[in-house]
Amino acid sequence: MKKIFFAIIVIALFCSHTMFLKLDSYFLEPHTPVTLQLFNGTFEESENVIDRNRMLDVSILNNSVRTKVSESQWTEKDSITLLNFKTGDAGTYVAGVSTKARSLEMEADAFNDYLEHEGIYDMLEWRKNNNALASKAIEKYSKHVKTIFQVGAIKTKDWQTVLGYPIEFVPLKNPYNLNTGDSLEVKLLLNGEPLANQLVYADYKAHSNSHSHNVNEDEKEHGHSHDNLKSHTHKDKSGSHSHEPKESEEPHTHASGQKLRTNAEGIAKAHLSADGIWYFQTIHLVNTEEEGLTHESNWSTLTFEVTHAHDEDTHTHEHGHEHGTNYTMYALLIGSLLLIGVLFFWFNRKNNKNEE
Amino acid sequence: MRSKKYVLSTLLLLFPLLLAAHGVSASDQELLNNGGLLSYIYVGAKHMITGYDHLLFLAGVIFYLKGFKDIVRFITVFTIGHSITLIGATYLGIKANEHLVDAVIALSVLYKGFENLGGFEKYIKVKSPNLLLMVLIFGLIHGFGLSTRLQSFDVGTSQFLSKIVCFNIGVELGQVLALIPIVFIISFWKSKRSYKAFYKAANLYLIIAGMGLFLYQLYGYFNGH
Repeated sequence: MKKIFFAIIVIALFCSHTMFLKLDSYFLEPHTPVTLQLFNGTFEESENVIDRNRMLDVSILNNSVRTKVSESQWTEKDSITLLNFKTGDAGTYVAGVSTKARSLEMEADAFNDYLEHEGIYDMLEWRKNNNALASKAIEKYSKHVKTIFQVGAIKTKDWQTVLGYPIEFVPLKNPYNLNTGDSLEVKLLLNGEPLANQLVYADYKAHSNSHSHNVNEDEKEHGHSHDNLKSHTHKDKSGSHSHEPKESEEPHTHASGQKLRTNAEGIAKAHLSADGIWYFQTIHLVNTEEEGLTHESNWSTLTFEVTHAHDEDTHTHEHGHEHGTNYTMYALLIGSLLLIGVLFFWFNRKNNKNEE
Repeated sequence: MRSKKYVLSTLLLLFPLLLAAHGVSASDQELLNNGGLLSYIYVGAKHMITGYDHLLFLAGVIFYLKGFKDIVRFITVFTIGHSITLIGATYLGIKANEHLVDAVIALSVLYKGFENLGGFEKYIKVKSPNLLLMVLIFGLIHGFGLSTRLQSFDVGTSQFLSKIVCFNIGVELGQVLALIPIVFIISFWKSKRSYKAFYKAANLYLIIAGMGLFLYQLYGYFNGH
Protein backbone atom coordinates (compact mmCIF):
# COMPACT_ATOMS: atom_id res chain seq x y z
CA MET A 1 0.00 0.00 0.00
CA LYS A 2 2.81 2.32 0.99
CA LYS A 3 4.63 1.59 -2.27
CA ILE A 4 1.52 2.37 -4.27
CA PHE A 5 1.17 5.62 -2.37
CA PHE A 6 4.75 6.63 -3.17
CA ALA A 7 4.37 5.61 -6.78
CA ILE A 8 1.28 7.80 -7.12
CA ILE A 9 3.12 10.77 -5.66
CA VAL A 10 6.17 10.27 -7.85
CA ILE A 11 4.11 9.83 -11.01
CA ALA A 12 2.17 12.97 -10.16
CA LEU A 13 5.37 14.93 -9.69
CA PHE A 14 6.80 13.69 -12.93
CA CYS A 15 3.67 14.51 -14.83
CA SER A 16 3.83 18.14 -13.74
CA HIS A 17 6.25 19.48 -16.29
CA THR A 18 6.56 23.15 -16.94
CA MET A 19 7.37 24.24 -20.47
CA PHE A 20 9.89 26.93 -21.38
CA LEU A 21 11.27 28.38 -24.59
CA LYS A 22 14.98 28.98 -24.15
CA LEU A 23 18.02 30.19 -26.06
CA ASP A 24 21.70 29.89 -25.33
CA SER A 25 21.92 33.65 -25.75
CA TYR A 26 19.07 36.12 -25.94
CA PHE A 27 21.26 38.65 -27.76
CA LEU A 28 21.66 37.53 -31.36
CA GLU A 29 23.00 38.85 -34.61
CA PRO A 30 20.72 39.56 -37.59
CA HIS A 31 20.60 36.97 -40.36
CA THR A 32 22.31 34.20 -38.43
CA PRO A 33 21.18 30.62 -37.66
CA VAL A 34 19.68 30.13 -34.22
CA THR A 35 18.40 27.16 -32.26
CA LEU A 36 15.42 27.72 -30.02
CA GLN A 37 15.04 25.10 -27.30
CA LEU A 38 11.70 23.89 -26.03
CA PHE A 39 12.10 22.51 -22.51
CA ASN A 40 9.43 20.40 -20.89
CA GLY A 41 10.31 19.68 -17.28
CA THR A 42 12.07 22.27 -15.20
CA PHE A 43 13.83 25.41 -16.31
CA GLU A 44 17.16 23.63 -15.90
CA GLU A 45 16.34 20.28 -17.39
CA SER A 46 13.97 19.07 -20.06
CA GLU A 47 12.36 15.73 -19.28
CA ASN A 48 10.79 14.89 -22.60
CA VAL A 49 10.29 16.11 -26.14
CA ILE A 50 7.02 17.50 -27.46
CA ASP A 51 5.32 15.78 -30.36
CA ARG A 52 4.69 18.02 -33.35
CA ASN A 53 1.02 17.09 -33.38
CA ARG A 54 0.67 18.58 -29.90
CA MET A 55 1.72 21.98 -31.18
CA LEU A 56 -1.25 24.12 -32.10
CA ASP A 57 0.83 27.16 -32.87
CA VAL A 58 4.49 27.94 -33.26
CA SER A 59 5.16 31.56 -34.18
CA ILE A 60 8.07 33.91 -34.51
CA LEU A 61 7.24 37.57 -34.52
CA ASN A 62 9.51 40.33 -35.74
CA ASN A 63 8.92 43.78 -37.20
CA SER A 64 5.15 43.19 -36.97
CA VAL A 65 5.36 40.07 -39.13
CA ARG A 66 4.21 36.82 -37.53
CA THR A 67 5.79 33.78 -39.14
CA LYS A 68 4.27 30.36 -38.56
CA VAL A 69 6.96 27.73 -38.16
CA SER A 70 6.65 24.54 -40.14
CA GLU A 71 7.04 21.09 -38.62
CA SER A 72 10.16 20.37 -40.64
CA GLN A 73 12.12 23.00 -38.75
CA TRP A 74 11.91 21.01 -35.52
CA THR A 75 14.50 18.47 -34.44
CA GLU A 76 15.17 16.64 -31.22
CA LYS A 77 18.21 16.15 -29.05
CA ASP A 78 17.94 13.98 -25.95
CA SER A 79 14.87 15.33 -24.18
CA ILE A 80 14.90 18.76 -25.77
CA THR A 81 12.81 19.79 -28.76
CA LEU A 82 14.80 22.15 -30.96
CA LEU A 83 13.63 24.71 -33.47
CA ASN A 84 16.22 25.79 -36.02
CA PHE A 85 15.63 29.05 -37.78
CA LYS A 86 17.51 32.05 -39.09
CA THR A 87 17.10 35.53 -37.64
CA GLY A 88 16.01 38.29 -39.98
CA ASP A 89 16.42 42.01 -39.61
CA ALA A 90 17.34 43.53 -36.27
CA GLY A 91 14.55 43.89 -33.74
CA THR A 92 13.05 42.62 -30.53
CA TYR A 93 11.68 39.18 -31.41
CA VAL A 94 8.95 37.13 -29.82
CA ALA A 95 8.64 33.37 -30.23
CA GLY A 96 5.69 31.39 -28.94
CA VAL A 97 4.46 27.83 -28.72
CA SER A 98 0.92 26.81 -27.82
CA THR A 99 0.05 23.17 -27.24
CA LYS A 100 -3.14 21.14 -27.47
CA ALA A 101 -4.92 20.18 -24.31
CA ARG A 102 -4.44 16.76 -22.80
CA SER A 103 -6.09 15.20 -19.80
CA LEU A 104 -4.70 13.31 -16.86
CA GLU A 105 -6.37 11.40 -14.06
CA MET A 106 -4.90 11.61 -10.60
CA GLU A 107 -5.72 10.15 -7.23
CA ALA A 108 -6.59 12.70 -4.55
CA ASP A 109 -3.26 12.56 -2.71
CA ALA A 110 -1.27 12.76 -5.91
CA PHE A 111 -3.31 15.72 -7.05
CA ASN A 112 -2.85 17.51 -3.71
CA ASP A 113 0.90 16.91 -3.85
CA TYR A 114 1.05 18.14 -7.41
CA LEU A 115 -0.77 21.35 -6.41
CA GLU A 116 1.75 21.96 -3.66
CA HIS A 117 4.70 20.98 -5.82
CA GLU A 118 3.74 23.47 -8.53
CA GLY A 119 2.72 26.21 -6.09
CA ILE A 120 -0.95 26.15 -7.09
CA TYR A 121 -1.91 27.15 -3.58
CA ASP A 122 -5.26 28.74 -4.43
CA MET A 123 -6.73 25.43 -5.58
CA LEU A 124 -5.14 23.59 -2.67
CA GLU A 125 -6.73 26.09 -0.31
CA TRP A 126 -10.06 25.70 -2.07
CA ARG A 127 -9.91 21.93 -1.68
CA LYS A 128 -9.10 22.30 2.03
CA ASN A 129 -11.93 24.77 2.60
CA ASN A 130 -14.45 22.70 0.66
CA ASN A 131 -13.56 19.29 2.09
CA ALA A 132 -12.41 18.20 -1.35
CA LEU A 133 -8.95 16.95 -0.43
CA ALA A 134 -10.09 13.38 -0.81
CA SER A 135 -11.53 13.89 -4.29
CA LYS A 136 -9.59 12.52 -7.21
CA ALA A 137 -9.08 14.71 -10.25
CA ILE A 138 -9.27 14.49 -13.99
CA GLU A 139 -7.45 17.52 -15.28
CA LYS A 140 -7.33 18.93 -18.77
CA TYR A 141 -4.14 20.90 -19.24
CA SER A 142 -2.46 22.86 -21.99
CA LYS A 143 0.74 24.89 -22.11
CA HIS A 144 1.46 28.18 -23.84
CA VAL A 145 4.95 29.62 -23.71
CA LYS A 146 6.76 32.66 -25.03
CA THR A 147 10.26 34.02 -25.17
CA ILE A 148 11.50 37.50 -26.04
CA PHE A 149 14.99 37.99 -27.45
CA GLN A 150 16.95 40.82 -28.99
CA VAL A 151 18.45 40.63 -32.46
CA GLY A 152 20.92 43.37 -33.30
CA ALA A 153 20.63 46.77 -31.69
CA ILE A 154 17.29 48.01 -32.97
CA LYS A 155 14.43 47.69 -30.48
CA THR A 156 11.05 47.02 -32.05
CA LYS A 157 7.61 46.90 -30.46
CA ASP A 158 6.80 43.24 -31.11
CA TRP A 159 7.32 42.41 -27.43
CA GLN A 160 3.90 43.91 -26.68
CA THR A 161 2.02 41.90 -29.30
CA VAL A 162 -0.62 39.54 -27.96
CA LEU A 163 -0.24 36.15 -29.65
CA GLY A 164 -3.79 35.17 -28.74
CA TYR A 165 -2.98 32.08 -26.70
CA PRO A 166 -5.48 30.86 -24.09
CA ILE A 167 -3.15 32.25 -21.45
CA GLU A 168 -0.12 34.46 -21.98
CA PHE A 169 2.16 36.98 -20.37
CA VAL A 170 2.55 40.32 -22.11
CA PRO A 171 5.24 42.61 -20.72
CA LEU A 172 4.36 46.27 -20.26
CA LYS A 173 7.89 47.34 -21.19
CA ASN A 174 10.48 45.97 -23.54
CA PRO A 175 12.68 43.80 -21.26
CA TYR A 176 15.64 44.81 -23.42
CA ASN A 177 15.20 48.43 -22.42
CA LEU A 178 15.66 47.39 -18.80
CA ASN A 179 18.75 46.67 -16.75
CA THR A 180 19.48 44.53 -13.76
CA GLY A 181 17.94 46.22 -10.75
CA ASP A 182 14.90 47.46 -12.66
CA SER A 183 11.41 46.10 -12.28
CA LEU A 184 9.23 44.64 -14.99
CA GLU A 185 5.46 44.58 -15.02
CA VAL A 186 3.72 41.90 -17.03
CA LYS A 187 0.05 41.60 -17.85
CA LEU A 188 -1.42 38.13 -17.65
CA LEU A 189 -4.20 37.47 -20.14
CA LEU A 190 -6.63 34.58 -19.99
CA ASN A 191 -8.55 34.24 -23.24
CA GLY A 192 -7.51 37.78 -24.06
CA GLU A 193 -8.80 39.28 -20.81
CA PRO A 194 -6.70 40.41 -17.83
CA LEU A 195 -6.51 37.67 -15.22
CA ALA A 196 -6.73 39.14 -11.73
CA ASN A 197 -5.60 37.64 -8.42
CA GLN A 198 -3.51 34.92 -10.04
CA LEU A 199 -0.33 33.57 -8.45
CA VAL A 200 2.70 34.18 -10.64
CA TYR A 201 6.29 33.21 -9.97
CA ALA A 202 9.30 35.09 -11.28
CA ASP A 203 12.76 33.62 -11.04
CA TYR A 204 16.04 33.66 -12.92
CA LYS A 205 18.97 31.50 -13.79
CA ALA A 206 22.37 33.04 -14.20
CA HIS A 207 23.58 33.07 -17.77
CA SER A 208 26.62 31.00 -18.61
CA ASN A 209 28.43 34.12 -19.82
CA SER A 210 31.41 35.10 -17.72
CA HIS A 211 29.86 38.21 -16.27
CA SER A 212 26.93 36.42 -14.77
CA HIS A 213 26.76 34.55 -11.52
CA ASN A 214 25.78 30.98 -10.84
CA VAL A 215 22.53 29.93 -9.33
CA ASN A 216 22.12 28.61 -5.88
CA GLU A 217 22.67 25.02 -6.82
CA ASP A 218 21.05 23.39 -3.87
CA GLU A 219 17.88 25.25 -4.71
CA LYS A 220 17.80 25.32 -8.46
CA GLU A 221 19.75 22.42 -9.86
CA HIS A 222 17.10 19.92 -9.11
CA GLY A 223 15.53 17.68 -11.61
CA HIS A 224 13.85 14.38 -12.16
CA SER A 225 14.87 11.26 -13.96
CA HIS A 226 12.37 9.48 -16.14
CA ASP A 227 14.68 6.54 -16.52
CA ASN A 228 13.62 5.29 -13.15
CA LEU A 229 10.41 6.66 -11.81
CA LYS A 230 11.29 5.62 -8.29
CA SER A 231 14.35 7.82 -8.17
CA HIS A 232 14.22 11.51 -7.51
CA THR A 233 17.48 13.24 -8.21
CA HIS A 234 18.94 16.42 -6.79
CA LYS A 235 22.30 17.75 -7.77
CA ASP A 236 24.45 19.51 -5.26
CA LYS A 237 27.93 20.94 -5.31
CA SER A 238 29.49 17.64 -4.39
CA GLY A 239 27.84 15.86 -7.25
CA SER A 240 24.45 14.29 -7.34
CA HIS A 241 22.57 11.83 -5.26
CA SER A 242 19.36 9.94 -5.65
CA HIS A 243 16.96 8.87 -3.01
CA GLU A 244 13.67 7.17 -2.61
CA PRO A 245 10.94 9.61 -1.68
CA LYS A 246 10.17 9.37 1.98
CA GLU A 247 6.89 10.03 3.66
CA SER A 248 8.43 12.49 6.06
CA GLU A 249 10.12 14.53 3.38
CA GLU A 250 8.72 17.93 2.56
CA PRO A 251 7.93 18.07 -1.11
CA HIS A 252 10.07 20.56 -2.97
CA THR A 253 8.42 23.02 -5.27
CA HIS A 254 9.02 24.20 -8.78
CA ALA A 255 7.41 27.49 -7.83
CA SER A 256 10.61 29.18 -6.71
CA GLY A 257 11.66 32.81 -6.87
CA GLN A 258 9.48 35.84 -6.36
CA LYS A 259 5.92 34.92 -5.49
CA LEU A 260 3.66 37.51 -7.10
CA ARG A 261 -0.05 37.98 -7.50
CA THR A 262 -1.71 39.85 -10.35
CA ASN A 263 -3.74 42.92 -9.47
CA ALA A 264 -7.21 43.83 -10.76
CA GLU A 265 -5.70 44.70 -14.15
CA GLY A 266 -3.95 41.36 -14.33
CA ILE A 267 -0.56 42.97 -13.76
CA ALA A 268 2.28 41.47 -11.71
CA LYS A 269 5.57 43.21 -11.04
CA ALA A 270 8.94 41.49 -10.59
CA HIS A 271 12.21 43.00 -9.45
CA LEU A 272 14.95 41.96 -11.85
CA SER A 273 17.53 41.75 -9.13
CA ALA A 274 20.36 40.00 -10.95
CA ASP A 275 21.87 39.27 -14.32
CA GLY A 276 20.47 36.16 -15.89
CA ILE A 277 17.72 34.51 -17.83
CA TRP A 278 14.49 35.48 -16.17
CA TYR A 279 11.19 33.69 -16.39
CA PHE A 280 7.64 34.28 -15.31
CA GLN A 281 5.48 31.23 -14.82
CA THR A 282 1.92 30.57 -13.80
CA ILE A 283 -0.61 27.77 -13.79
CA HIS A 284 -4.23 28.83 -13.90
CA LEU A 285 -6.16 25.84 -12.59
CA VAL A 286 -9.91 25.90 -12.02
CA ASN A 287 -12.76 23.48 -11.42
CA THR A 288 -14.70 22.64 -14.53
CA GLU A 289 -18.13 21.28 -15.30
CA GLU A 290 -16.95 19.86 -18.60
CA GLU A 291 -18.04 16.28 -19.05
CA GLY A 292 -15.46 13.73 -17.94
CA LEU A 293 -13.29 16.37 -16.27
CA THR A 294 -12.95 17.89 -12.84
CA HIS A 295 -10.34 20.54 -13.52
CA GLU A 296 -8.87 22.58 -16.33
CA SER A 297 -5.46 24.23 -16.29
CA ASN A 298 -3.61 26.58 -18.59
CA TRP A 299 0.12 26.92 -18.10
CA SER A 300 2.15 29.89 -19.22
CA THR A 301 5.77 30.96 -19.12
CA LEU A 302 7.72 33.91 -20.48
CA THR A 303 11.52 33.99 -20.73
CA PHE A 304 13.98 36.79 -21.51
CA GLU A 305 17.45 37.86 -20.47
CA VAL A 306 18.51 40.70 -18.21
CA THR A 307 22.00 42.14 -18.08
CA HIS A 308 23.64 45.29 -16.80
CA ALA A 309 24.10 46.53 -20.35
CA HIS A 310 21.91 45.35 -23.15
CA ASP A 311 24.07 46.63 -25.94
CA GLU A 312 25.45 43.62 -27.73
CA ASP A 313 28.90 45.21 -27.78
CA THR A 314 28.97 45.46 -24.03
CA HIS A 315 27.55 42.05 -23.47
CA THR A 316 30.86 40.64 -22.32
CA HIS A 317 31.53 43.11 -19.55
CA GLU A 318 32.81 41.43 -16.44
CA HIS A 319 32.26 43.04 -13.10
CA GLY A 320 32.41 46.46 -14.74
CA HIS A 321 29.65 47.65 -12.51
CA GLU A 322 31.53 46.65 -9.43
CA HIS A 323 34.71 48.31 -10.64
CA GLY A 324 32.66 51.46 -11.12
CA THR A 325 31.30 51.12 -7.60
CA ASN A 326 34.81 50.63 -6.24
CA TYR A 327 36.08 53.74 -8.03
CA THR A 328 33.16 55.70 -6.63
CA MET A 329 33.94 54.39 -3.16
CA TYR A 330 37.57 55.49 -3.46
CA ALA A 331 36.50 58.86 -4.83
CA LEU A 332 34.04 59.23 -1.99
CA LEU A 333 36.68 58.36 0.58
CA ILE A 334 39.28 60.72 -0.87
CA GLY A 335 36.66 63.46 -1.32
CA SER A 336 35.45 63.05 2.23
CA LEU A 337 38.98 63.24 3.63
CA LEU A 338 39.66 66.28 1.51
CA LEU A 339 36.49 67.97 2.71
CA ILE A 340 37.26 67.20 6.36
CA GLY A 341 40.79 68.47 5.78
CA VAL A 342 39.58 71.75 4.31
CA LEU A 343 37.09 72.22 7.12
CA PHE A 344 39.74 71.34 9.67
CA PHE A 345 42.20 73.96 8.38
CA TRP A 346 39.45 76.53 8.25
CA PHE A 347 38.31 75.92 11.84
CA ASN A 348 41.89 75.62 13.05
CA ARG A 349 42.83 78.95 11.51
CA LYS A 350 39.75 80.49 13.02
CA ASN A 351 40.64 79.10 16.46
CA ASN A 352 44.22 80.34 16.17
CA LYS A 353 42.99 83.80 15.22
CA ASN A 354 40.63 83.86 18.19
CA GLU A 355 43.44 82.82 20.52
CA GLU A 356 45.70 85.59 19.16
CA MET B 1 35.81 85.72 3.22
CA ARG B 2 38.21 84.00 0.82
CA SER B 3 38.31 80.88 2.96
CA LYS B 4 34.50 80.77 3.10
CA LYS B 5 34.39 80.82 -0.70
CA TYR B 6 37.00 78.09 -0.82
CA VAL B 7 35.01 75.87 1.52
CA LEU B 8 31.79 76.46 -0.43
CA SER B 9 33.32 75.63 -3.78
CA THR B 10 34.95 72.51 -2.35
CA LEU B 11 31.57 71.41 -1.00
CA LEU B 12 29.96 71.88 -4.38
CA LEU B 13 32.72 69.94 -6.08
CA LEU B 14 32.49 67.06 -3.66
CA PHE B 15 28.73 66.88 -3.46
CA PRO B 16 28.41 64.37 -6.32
CA LEU B 17 30.78 62.06 -4.47
CA LEU B 18 28.23 61.76 -1.72
CA LEU B 19 25.78 60.43 -4.24
CA ALA B 20 27.18 56.95 -4.42
CA ALA B 21 25.29 54.18 -2.74
CA HIS B 22 26.37 50.81 -1.56
CA GLY B 23 24.23 48.32 -3.40
CA VAL B 24 23.87 44.68 -4.18
CA SER B 25 26.51 43.48 -6.60
CA ALA B 26 26.45 40.49 -8.92
CA SER B 27 29.76 39.25 -7.51
CA ASP B 28 28.33 39.25 -3.99
CA GLN B 29 25.33 37.29 -5.23
CA GLU B 30 27.67 34.86 -6.94
CA LEU B 31 29.64 34.49 -3.74
CA LEU B 32 26.48 33.85 -1.73
CA ASN B 33 25.32 31.29 -4.26
CA ASN B 34 28.50 29.29 -4.11
CA GLY B 35 30.27 30.11 -0.86
CA GLY B 36 28.01 28.58 1.79
CA LEU B 37 27.40 30.20 5.18
CA LEU B 38 30.90 31.69 5.40
CA SER B 39 30.13 33.82 2.37
CA TYR B 40 27.26 35.40 4.28
CA ILE B 41 29.72 36.41 7.02
CA TYR B 42 32.03 37.87 4.39
CA VAL B 43 29.29 39.79 2.55
CA GLY B 44 27.88 41.06 5.88
CA ALA B 45 31.32 42.32 6.93
CA LYS B 46 31.97 43.82 3.50
CA HIS B 47 28.64 45.58 3.55
CA MET B 48 29.37 47.13 6.94
CA ILE B 49 32.90 48.22 6.01
CA THR B 50 31.76 49.75 2.71
CA GLY B 51 28.46 50.93 4.18
CA TYR B 52 29.64 54.42 4.91
CA ASP B 53 26.29 55.63 6.23
CA HIS B 54 26.47 53.12 9.12
CA LEU B 55 30.09 54.02 9.79
CA LEU B 56 29.50 57.76 9.69
CA PHE B 57 26.77 57.38 12.29
CA LEU B 58 29.04 55.26 14.48
CA ALA B 59 31.85 57.78 14.11
CA GLY B 60 29.44 60.46 15.26
CA VAL B 61 28.53 58.38 18.31
CA ILE B 62 32.21 57.74 19.15
CA PHE B 63 32.89 61.48 19.06
CA TYR B 64 30.40 62.02 21.81
CA LEU B 65 31.71 59.34 24.15
CA LYS B 66 34.32 59.42 26.87
CA GLY B 67 36.35 56.33 27.62
CA PHE B 68 36.42 52.74 26.43
CA LYS B 69 33.59 51.58 28.75
CA ASP B 70 31.29 54.21 27.30
CA ILE B 71 32.16 53.09 23.77
CA VAL B 72 31.46 49.44 24.57
CA ARG B 73 28.13 50.36 26.19
CA PHE B 74 26.87 52.41 23.26
CA ILE B 75 28.14 50.08 20.56
CA THR B 76 26.51 47.15 22.37
CA VAL B 77 23.17 48.99 22.38
CA PHE B 78 23.59 49.83 18.68
CA THR B 79 24.44 46.19 17.96
CA ILE B 80 21.40 44.91 19.87
CA GLY B 81 19.20 47.38 18.00
CA HIS B 82 20.37 46.52 14.51
CA SER B 83 20.50 42.77 15.23
CA ILE B 84 16.83 42.78 16.27
CA THR B 85 15.61 44.32 13.04
CA LEU B 86 18.18 42.67 10.78
CA ILE B 87 17.31 39.16 11.93
CA GLY B 88 13.62 39.79 12.68
CA ALA B 89 12.68 41.70 9.54
CA THR B 90 14.62 39.39 7.24
CA TYR B 91 13.18 36.27 8.83
CA LEU B 92 9.65 37.61 8.64
CA GLY B 93 10.17 39.03 5.16
CA ILE B 94 9.36 42.58 6.24
CA LYS B 95 10.86 45.17 3.98
CA ALA B 96 10.35 48.71 2.83
CA ASN B 97 11.58 50.81 -0.05
CA GLU B 98 15.35 50.79 0.34
CA HIS B 99 15.66 54.44 -0.67
CA LEU B 100 13.31 55.49 2.10
CA VAL B 101 15.07 53.35 4.69
CA ASP B 102 18.46 54.67 3.58
CA ALA B 103 17.08 58.22 3.67
CA VAL B 104 16.20 57.77 7.36
CA ILE B 105 19.66 56.30 7.98
CA ALA B 106 21.16 59.37 6.29
CA LEU B 107 19.12 61.54 8.66
CA SER B 108 20.65 59.64 11.59
CA VAL B 109 24.09 60.74 10.36
CA LEU B 110 22.91 64.33 10.04
CA TYR B 111 21.30 64.08 13.50
CA LYS B 112 24.51 62.93 15.15
CA GLY B 113 26.62 65.67 13.61
CA PHE B 114 24.00 68.26 14.56
CA GLU B 115 23.81 66.96 18.14
CA ASN B 116 27.60 66.80 18.54
CA LEU B 117 27.89 70.43 17.49
CA GLY B 118 25.36 71.38 20.16
CA GLY B 119 22.67 72.12 17.59
CA PHE B 120 19.77 71.24 19.88
CA GLU B 121 20.82 73.71 22.57
CA LYS B 122 22.08 76.34 20.16
CA TYR B 123 19.36 76.42 17.51
CA ILE B 124 16.29 74.64 18.94
CA LYS B 125 16.89 75.68 22.55
CA VAL B 126 16.13 72.24 23.92
CA LYS B 127 18.22 69.58 25.60
CA SER B 128 19.48 66.77 23.35
CA PRO B 129 17.41 63.57 23.59
CA ASN B 130 18.88 60.71 25.62
CA LEU B 131 21.72 59.41 23.45
CA LEU B 132 21.52 55.80 24.59
CA LEU B 133 17.84 55.68 23.63
CA MET B 134 18.53 57.41 20.33
CA VAL B 135 21.36 54.98 19.55
CA LEU B 136 18.96 52.08 20.19
CA ILE B 137 16.29 53.63 17.93
CA PHE B 138 18.81 54.39 15.19
CA GLY B 139 20.26 50.90 15.66
CA LEU B 140 16.82 49.46 14.88
CA ILE B 141 16.59 51.63 11.76
CA HIS B 142 20.12 50.75 10.58
CA GLY B 143 19.27 47.06 11.13
CA PHE B 144 16.17 47.46 8.99
CA GLY B 145 18.36 49.00 6.28
CA LEU B 146 20.76 46.04 6.51
CA SER B 147 17.79 43.68 6.35
CA THR B 148 16.44 45.40 3.24
CA ARG B 149 19.84 44.97 1.63
CA LEU B 150 20.06 41.30 2.60
CA GLN B 151 16.56 40.70 1.27
CA SER B 152 17.54 42.13 -2.10
CA PHE B 153 19.88 39.13 -2.49
CA ASP B 154 18.53 35.82 -3.68
CA VAL B 155 19.01 34.02 -0.37
CA GLY B 156 16.85 31.00 -1.12
CA THR B 157 14.97 29.06 1.51
CA SER B 158 17.45 26.46 2.73
CA GLN B 159 19.29 27.31 5.98
CA PHE B 160 17.43 30.60 5.90
CA LEU B 161 17.88 31.57 9.56
CA SER B 162 21.52 30.44 9.59
CA LYS B 163 22.21 32.63 6.58
CA ILE B 164 20.65 35.67 8.26
CA VAL B 165 22.57 35.04 11.49
CA CYS B 166 25.83 34.61 9.54
CA PHE B 167 25.20 37.86 7.68
CA ASN B 168 24.61 39.53 11.05
CA ILE B 169 27.83 38.06 12.45
CA GLY B 170 29.61 39.47 9.41
CA VAL B 171 28.08 42.87 10.07
CA GLU B 172 29.39 42.79 13.66
CA LEU B 173 32.87 41.75 12.52
CA GLY B 174 32.88 44.48 9.91
CA GLN B 175 31.72 46.97 12.50
CA VAL B 176 34.54 46.05 14.89
CA LEU B 177 37.12 46.22 12.08
CA ALA B 178 35.86 49.61 10.98
CA LEU B 179 35.63 50.99 14.51
CA ILE B 180 39.26 50.23 15.39
CA PRO B 181 40.77 52.99 13.19
CA ILE B 182 37.89 55.38 13.97
CA VAL B 183 38.34 55.00 17.74
CA PHE B 184 42.11 55.19 17.34
CA ILE B 185 42.05 58.43 15.32
CA ILE B 186 39.55 60.17 17.59
CA SER B 187 41.33 59.04 20.78
CA PHE B 188 44.70 60.06 19.38
CA TRP B 189 43.48 63.50 18.39
CA LYS B 190 41.72 64.21 21.69
CA SER B 191 44.99 65.09 23.41
CA LYS B 192 46.03 67.49 20.64
CA ARG B 193 45.49 71.23 20.66
CA SER B 194 43.80 71.06 17.27
CA TYR B 195 41.13 68.57 18.45
CA LYS B 196 38.50 71.31 18.72
CA ALA B 197 38.94 72.16 15.03
CA PHE B 198 38.97 68.47 14.09
CA TYR B 199 35.80 67.88 16.12
CA LYS B 200 33.99 70.75 14.42
CA ALA B 201 35.24 69.80 10.95
CA ALA B 202 34.30 66.13 11.30
CA ASN B 203 30.85 66.82 12.70
CA LEU B 204 30.10 69.50 10.12
CA TYR B 205 31.11 66.92 7.56
CA LEU B 206 28.60 64.48 9.10
CA ILE B 207 25.84 67.07 8.63
CA ILE B 208 26.86 67.69 5.01
CA ALA B 209 27.24 63.98 4.26
CA GLY B 210 23.94 63.16 5.99
CA MET B 211 22.15 65.85 4.00
CA GLY B 212 23.80 64.73 0.75
CA LEU B 213 22.89 61.09 1.29
CA PHE B 214 19.36 62.04 2.31
CA LEU B 215 18.82 64.06 -0.88
CA TYR B 216 20.36 61.31 -2.96
CA GLN B 217 18.02 58.69 -1.51
CA LEU B 218 15.00 60.93 -2.04
CA TYR B 219 16.12 61.49 -5.62
CA GLY B 220 16.41 57.72 -6.04
CA TYR B 221 12.98 57.18 -4.53
CA PHE B 222 11.19 59.70 -6.72
CA ASN B 223 13.06 58.84 -9.90
CA GLY B 224 13.13 55.08 -9.45
CA HIS B 225 16.93 55.06 -9.73
